Amino acid sequence: MKRYHVIVIGAGPAGLSAAIEAASHGMTVGLFDENARPGGQLFKQIHKFFGSKEHKAKIRGFRIGEELLAEAEKLGVEVHLNSTVMGIYFPMNKITVSNGESTTSYSGNNIILAAGASENAIPFDGWTLPGVMGAGAAQTLMNLHGVQPGKRILMVGSGNVGLVVGFQLIQSGCQLEAIIDAAPKIGGYGVHAAKVARTGVPFLLSHTIVRAEGTESVTGAVIAQVDEYFQPIPGTERHLDVDTILIATGLTPMSKLAEMTGCDMKEMGGKVPVVDQYGMTSIEGLYAAGDVSGIEEASSAMIGGRIAALAAAAKDGYIEQNEFEKSYSDYQSSLEKLRKGMFAKENRGKTLAVTDEGLPISTNLLKHGFLDEEEITSYPGMTSRQGIHPVIECTQNIPCNPCQDACKFGCIQVGADITRLPIADVKSECKNCGMCVAACPGQAIFLVEEDCGDHMAAVTLPYEFRPLPEVGEKGYGLSRRGEEICPATVLNVRLNPVFDHTAILTIQVPKEMAMRARFYRGSRKD
Amino acid sequence: MRIESHPIIDDFKKGKKVAFTYNGKELEGYEDEPIAATLKAAGIEIHRYTRKNHEPRGIYCAIGRCTDCVMVVDGVPNIRTCMTPLKGGMVIETQYGLGAKGAES
Repeated sequence: MKRYHVIVIGAGPAGLSAAIEAASHGMTVGLFDENARPGGQLFKQIHKFFGSKEHKAKIRGFRIGEELLAEAEKLGVEVHLNSTVMGIYFPMNKITVSNGESTTSYSGNNIILAAGASENAIPFDGWTLPGVMGAGAAQTLMNLHGVQPGKRILMVGSGNVGLVVGFQLIQSGCQLEAIIDAAPKIGGYGVHAAKVARTGVPFLLSHTIVRAEGTESVTGAVIAQVDEYFQPIPGTERHLDVDTILIATGLTPMSKLAEMTGCDMKEMGGKVPVVDQYGMTSIEGLYAAGDVSGIEEASSAMIGGRIAALAAAAKDGYIEQNEFEKSYSDYQSSLEKLRKGMFAKENRGKTLAVTDEGLPISTNLLKHGFLDEEEITSYPGMTSRQGIHPVIECTQNIPCNPCQDACKFGCIQVGADITRLPIADVKSECKNCGMCVAACPGQAIFLVEEDCGDHMAAVTLPYEFRPLPEVGEKGYGLSRRGEEICPATVLNVRLNPVFDHTAILTIQVPKEMAMRARFYRGSRKD
Repeated sequence: MRIESHPIIDDFKKGKKVAFTYNGKELEGYEDEPIAATLKAAGIEIHRYTRKNHEPRGIYCAIGRCTDCVMVVDGVPNIRTCMTPLKGGMVIETQYGLGAKGAES
């Protein structure tokens, strides 16, 4: 039986990071994954990640996946694909692995479980019809395989998965009809909602899906408003003309393997193994990292994987105690940064009234997905002045600061606490480089010249759609809610490689629209 | 429908075009993409009908968990089409209950 110092189960962000950390300390590592390709869900994450530089912020998820894979390979991690781990056995420290034809056993001094999570389903009339799918399934089809999941789509769930996949559907050329959520407020980041809303997609909060229509596949959806007990209110039903219904109502840890070892488990959005600060379960040598130990996101999963492997390396004497303590404290502080802010665990289910800065939180953003024009002036990134300057529509305390590093001219400050709202420094001169516009993972930064003569203004915005507008082309300026509010002329289109596929579009709009126009739509050709 | 141009992904890195049959009809797809993706691109939604109630089922999770997308592939039933790569010459059939049409059980 082949023996490894460390066996890692699951080659997603947590597992790959654990494998890299262990191998970097000279341990032999076997990494097992049931899929044909490694990376877990990373390769379908085509958006720029949040966080700060140490968390690989502003890098797109699939590129992080490529980096991790290359590193694992370089360090000699043995990757076993199409290999389903069917059992873990303690105290023998053994796993059995099936490749579909035969079963092989491996043993490991340490076993790190990083099996991830699966999507929750919700039952409603017609939920089994072809055309009702998990939002992650749609993401797999479009971002990995280049196939549209449908033409006209309803998204159920407004957490970050619903918002991010919703945006990606539009990028894939699908028509997103609406995002609904039974909760009275949007669950995910406001900036993710805002970039969807400005394309004209409505958010319907306190709404649920009543049924999927169709006999052979989805031909429509019926939604209804819900009362405070989440029950549909009779008479509020309405039909939506869609062929696809995507479900983004949370994830459940895939903790079956942990359960079969007999380690202590607890309830946390599904059963999860009880782990200590290093990710070790109640069984010595068995660790859990990433979503399997509690749903978070990829950035914290990567750090969790590293901590578990680091602890295993220290336990078995591959690193000195002082080296362990230093690395652990670095990882831990990095993790704590990600776990702060409005969306932190301790704030779940709460409705916060003010930001850390004491500013009122936009209720319009929470209810409709976009900032109200009345609200925008109260935030430190949204200043008004002469000449071109950044307007940062970032109004919630989320762990993210690439804007600060992107501007080489000191126009944007977040500070050491990465959940603070970015401040637009009125004294620094904006050079119109566009780096902040492209760097912002929330696509919330605009460069605005409020008066460029002739009663006109220029608005520079991030644009991640195809086809790209052409310089000189005439179309419409869209408001934050996606309504055509004025004529617009495309002044400039920049697609610098350093922007990593985020085009920087400058449009000319009437002067009074400088603080209102936030998106561009070409004149319809049909 | 296949995505023609994408703002972020320059190349979906497809294998070569291959022919296969779906319920006897000759169709084309790309080698090694999941069968489910090929069928979705061809506008085919129904993968199987359930045994008791003869209800249609299609792709649900696309990561091999739910088994809703199983079909009869090269005569073998219960093949998860979201996890199984397409090969040239494959014979893919709608699954009825536990087998192909006529083999209902």
